Amino acid sequence: MRHMSPARRVAIIVVAAVAIVAIGVAAWLVFGPGPLAFAGNSTVALADYHEANPTGVPADLAKADAIRRGEYLAKAADCMVCHTTPGGEAYAGGLAFPLPFGTLYSTNITSDKETGIGNYTDQDFLNAVQRGIRKDGARLYPAMTYTSYTFMTDADALAIKAYLFSLPAVHRPNQDDTLLFPFNQRWGMIFWSWAFNPNTRFAPNTAKCAEWNRGAYIAEALAHCGDCHTPRNLAFALDNRRKFSGAVAAGWRAYNITADKATGIGAWSDDEIFAYLAKGHAMGRGTASGPMGEAVDRSFSQMAPADIRALVTYLRSIPAVASSEPATIAAPAPTSPKEGGAVADALGRRVFAQACASCHSWTGVSALSPVATISGSRAVNDPTATNVAQIVISGTQRFSPGAMSMPAFGSTYTDSEIAAVANYVTGRFGSAASKLTAKDVADLRGQTAR
Amino acid sequence: MTFSISINGTKHDVDVADDTPLLWVLRDVLGMTGTKYGCGIAQCGACTVHVDGNPLRSCLLPVGTIGSRAVTTIEGIGATEAGAKVQKAWLDREVIQCGYCQSGQIMSAAALLAANPHPDDADIDAAMAGNICRCGTYVRIREAIKSAAGEA
Repeated sequence: MRHMSPARRVAIIVVAAVAIVAIGVAAWLVFGPGPLAFAGNSTVALADYHEANPTGVPADLAKADAIRRGEYLAKAADCMVCHTTPGGEAYAGGLAFPLPFGTLYSTNITSDKETGIGNYTDQDFLNAVQRGIRKDGARLYPAMTYTSYTFMTDADALAIKAYLFSLPAVHRPNQDDTLLFPFNQRWGMIFWSWAFNPNTRFAPNTAKCAEWNRGAYIAEALAHCGDCHTPRNLAFALDNRRKFSGAVAAGWRAYNITADKATGIGAWSDDEIFAYLAKGHAMGRGTASGPMGEAVDRSFSQMAPADIRALVTYLRSIPAVASSEPATIAAPAPTSPKEGGAVADALGRRVFAQACASCHSWTGVSALSPVATISGSRAVNDPTATNVAQIVISGTQRFSPGAMSMPAFGSTYTDSEIAAVANYVTGRFGSAASKLTAKDVADLRGQTAR
Repeated sequence: MTFSISINGTKHDVDVADDTPLLWVLRDVLGMTGTKYGCGIAQCGACTVHVDGNPLRSCLLPVGTIGSRAVTTIEGIGATEAGAKVQKAWLDREVIQCGYCQSGQIMSAAALLAANPHPDDADIDAAMAGNICRCGTYVRIREAIKSAAGEA
């Protein structure tokens, strides 16, 4: 070292400095703030909080038994949607999540002792839900949203267990995941979990009102909104610097739900957000479909109105983050199919005339029902047309009262026809036409949970 | 729940759930079976009726959303100017084969001509594409629409 030339010494110092900066940047990118950091650190332990209890169930259920409370909480946490296959037995698992490096399957969480979680003790259940550790010690992948459920109180998690154990045990063996190396090494999740699971219970924020705290508990500990709506970083952890600003999950776009007026829901009224959550539709704003439609059916529509209002209050407080969606929402299209955007797309127009115009009208404002109005929705104004194509493929089957369903066209039309009609719809009813190809549609088909 | 709906100029009081599709009210409650059930998902057009002159698929139209708007069915369409022309052209051209879809075809064609007395082929495509005919009478339907428009 003593004989090192000055130039070489400078080079080493520069390389070292660059490496340190790079590690620092990578760490900054990967180790972001927690989901509630935006609200400041005026937090106290739940036991030291003297306003209305933000955890648990609504007041009219507070005296109910654990099974009844657990039912409400399991619905609020939306366990069913991931742990049930379409048409399959409730909570018996088996839903496939195709990933770029293999397929994950949700597991049987019925009380069956052989194939479900019937042998789980209370502590086993808490370890799985709050810490991502299976009874056999294996680590769960973050597809199981334990980094959100970790904020749940022990009492609430155990009420959910009591509810699950009150349901019929279903004997359905879990499938093996088909992940490629190195993703199939579950032990690697020890480090991921150590870095990204706060493993801490919900701490109320005394600078915020009781309703906000209730909304925060529902959104973060139960409904796990961020697991779809918050973008992920390189390490697949939630990037809460861009909290709730939208992401693609399981082949569907979860839109920006921050307070940003142009690209988020800052311009929505409280009543519109309430209606969208409680009924899956807000007049002129579109209808919940895909995973959000399922969340409305199985979760939000089952919640007490006061809890939905608390969610609205909480959502209102999320800092505005602008995302890449168009800032303008297009007005309804002309009545005549000869006028308006995308008239040149002959195939897309033909498919639209045959299959879509009867309900959605050439204006996009449905003459049949407001829930079939597509004009004004974020989906048709999204130039990636991700959700338009997905809705055409799988339709929307709503179970909420007053809802209408749309048939699935995925087996009726080819990929190029679906691409053409999605491009036509975004061109005619949106602010920018999409440019989907048949291959894009095939890719989208492959990404959905099934 | 009781709804008062105006059908072909006559008021009808019906006691049904508000999300009952109009088609069920027409056929099962009121016995007006001229409007046909085809697919039940607004994909075939057989159930087309007019609501304030707009052609709508009655199989998905919740009766609770109709309000005071005027419903016209195949039983009443002959009393409208466009409807009378269409029905005459349908007979002159012998459009119908099995006939199941034809009340829907006539309702869509009548709505088209009422809004656009001289439609070109593209207008006819856009207005009629949602009405499916299993017998394949499409060529005669197009001719009859042009004939009713006084163009053939």
